[in-house]
Amino acid sequence: MKYEHCIRCTICVENCPVLRVNPEFPGPKQAGQDAQRFRSDRERAEDGWVLLCSQCKRCEMACPCGVEPAQIILKEQQRYGKEHPQTPAHLLFANNYYLSALGSLTAPIANMIASTEMGKKAFRAMGISTYIPFPKFRFKTMRQEKKNINKGRKKVAFFYGCFINFYRPDIGRKIIRLLSSMNVDVVLPPQWCCGLPALGNGNIALAKYFAQKNASSLSNYIDAGYDIVYTCTSCGLCLMHDYPGILKIPQGKKIAENSYDVHEYIIKLINEEYVKPIFGKVSRKIAYHIPCHLRALGIGYPAAKLMAMIPDLKCEILDDACCGLSCSYGFKEKNESTAIQLGNRAVSLIKKTQMENIVADCGSCRMQLGGLSGMPALDPAEILCESLGITA
Amino acid sequence: MSVTEYDIVIIGAGVGGLTAGALLAERGFKVALVTRGEPTACLSTGCIDVCSRDSKPLSGINDLPPTHPYHLVPEKIIREALNYFQAAMMDMGIPYAGTAEENRFTLSALGTLKTSCLVPSTMKEAPQDNKDSIHIITFKGLKDFYPGYIISRRKNTKSSMYDAGVYSTMSIASHFEEKEFFEKFITWLTRLEIQEDKIAFPAVLGLEAASEIVNTTSILMEKPVFEIPTIPPSMPGRRLFNALKGYFRKKGGTIYWSWPVAGIEKSGKIIEAVTTPSEGRPNSINARAFILSTGSFVGGGLTATREAVVENIFNLPVHVPGPRATWFDNDYFSLNHGIGRAGIIADSSLRPAGCPWENIFVCGGILADTEILKNGCGHGVALATAHLAAKSCAEYLSR
Repeated sequence: MKYEHCIRCTICVENCPVLRVNPEFPGPKQAGQDAQRFRSDRERAEDGWVLLCSQCKRCEMACPCGVEPAQIILKEQQRYGKEHPQTPAHLLFANNYYLSALGSLTAPIANMIASTEMGKKAFRAMGISTYIPFPKFRFKTMRQEKKNINKGRKKVAFFYGCFINFYRPDIGRKIIRLLSSMNVDVVLPPQWCCGLPALGNGNIALAKYFAQKNASSLSNYIDAGYDIVYTCTSCGLCLMHDYPGILKIPQGKKIAENSYDVHEYIIKLINEEYVKPIFGKVSRKIAYHIPCHLRALGIGYPAAKLMAMIPDLKCEILDDACCGLSCSYGFKEKNESTAIQLGNRAVSLIKKTQMENIVADCGSCRMQLGGLSGMPALDPAEILCESLGITA
Repeated sequence: MSVTEYDIVIIGAGVGGLTAGALLAERGFKVALVTRGEPTACLSTGCIDVCSRDSKPLSGINDLPPTHPYHLVPEKIIREALNYFQAAMMDMGIPYAGTAEENRFTLSALGTLKTSCLVPSTMKEAPQDNKDSIHIITFKGLKDFYPGYIISRRKNTKSSMYDAGVYSTMSIASHFEEKEFFEKFITWLTRLEIQEDKIAFPAVLGLEAASEIVNTTSILMEKPVFEIPTIPPSMPGRRLFNALKGYFRKKGGTIYWSWPVAGIEKSGKIIEAVTTPSEGRPNSINARAFILSTGSFVGGGLTATREAVVENIFNLPVHVPGPRATWFDNDYFSLNHGIGRAGIIADSSLRPAGCPWENIFVCGGILADTEILKNGCGHGVALATAHLAAKSCAEYLSR
């Protein structure tokens, strides 16, 4: 907590997407370091508006003094969450993992209910927004995938994350084939929700519970010589920053030291001359939307580097706009208008590029931007697979 | 472990760093730019002050003390730098008015005339003397702008207040880009039946589309319209930063955000890589040459301790004007604070003096003896030295 280091320059304020469209939110400076001076653990948390922060971390990226406004707000969100009754929407999204597990088990029925007017009404009654279709549950999730037994030297434990697992296991399978094609042995370690949705909904106890379970599991794999690879940039940020940080997981540092974004990992393989992939032509024009949490990882844009090696691919990078959905944030009814306005701004910047496809590392960015623009939204791994002739 | 290999890594995302980066990327080098956060350019008025001591910036430069870094840059390069900047900004949709031959004025939020060289087109119509009558439009609840200051200083100045329904610079600026809001606002403005020569606004007329908004307003009102720069959050500063950033990227540069340099990897006379801390593995980026453009104290390039002034990245020798007692003048508002001269001394190729490594170049406010406040030369020094640093760096790499 370095709120005293703030020099009041307001660069964080300029970077806050929520503040631009929602006057109810006082902005990262006021909600973070300014208000922090008046907060005390002996007093009840009363600032309900801290929940309006979407935790995109853009303020932290921009601060020239190393103050972490989003982190300060995140801590206050936890305090507020603990001291105030949780709304149904907060409870549901914090427990998104269980909800999704149930949804997948009953996929055909759950999807049907979610798409009917009745279902949507029920969602709205709980304060859940329905402006873009809720993603479809898949019956065959990643966890039921057979272990890959390709005998390679490099060993990877794949942390696929809930979005891939419950909604897009096909992308997960593609990533496994992609890594296998590079002579990497991929296993799927036992894993749970990373904990970020719980943290985002002010439920640090649940977040710690998930994080500890994951950490114990992943830690075993690291000891056995595996590298951890994640694909969801938000899961990645949680593993890299929140496990050793706010969640204080004992194995956190070890996990952060051994976890890689999938594209960062492929670049590592190429740099070490472990593989020399020959990229084939992909005749697509793509607008590469950089998820806020990829920026926050501080690893640059590894997928952009890989895609730059693909012949014929036209790629424009867009990293100035937040898509607005921010995991479950935009699905909460009180954030709906913020999410739509931010999403439309991001879409209008994408449309300006006159590209045909949207590419984003983050599942919720793809859902939001694809849903609002009607353009196809792909994962960078899908582009790589297309280039290397890998099909799921 | 390296993330990847670059030709050049630039440290600092200010006017100098982004310009040097764009120039080098344009010449086909692989350029990465790392930055701890966003630069002080965001806090600036967006105006390019070249040298405000004289009505002609270039003759002002000639009168500067011989140690001033401007004297390292041939006049041809200074002119080139200003032309290049204007062309780049035009390309990015935020045209700049002015020339290297003549300084001009903008109206400050305190009602004084501020000397500058190149100004955003939104400030082009600012009065150049005390004659024009002005009608200032201010916004209800906007705490960062008081037209009263200007009215107390200028004759024939009036103000009116609009209730935008939102009360911060950012929100008002973002509303101005919505068609509906703008139309409603114009209707209100028309009803005022303004008699004065010119209409002035605090600089909140849009985030990205400000030039268009000012033009449209001017056409609809049939009067010159201009913006008055405000205290941060400063929209003109942000527009400048966004445009430079976009331009750098357009030329093929890569930016690493939130990437404070905490360590260096070196071998002999060469810096091989810079590293940043992380909860996990330290990230490092290696390159064949480095450009240091971290700014001075506010920018984060220099830190003053009780005993000395330290350069934060490479621990380069810092020139300090004298003992600590001479760092500060007794008069706070004096422009003669010795500390303004602290910085890195460089040779004619902008290599730092007394530096054990041969592949580092410096540009911008971190250079010694700039005295930016006194000479009114902030962004101008950054642009000029960025061009020279890029040139020296390219020559070094092409050996």
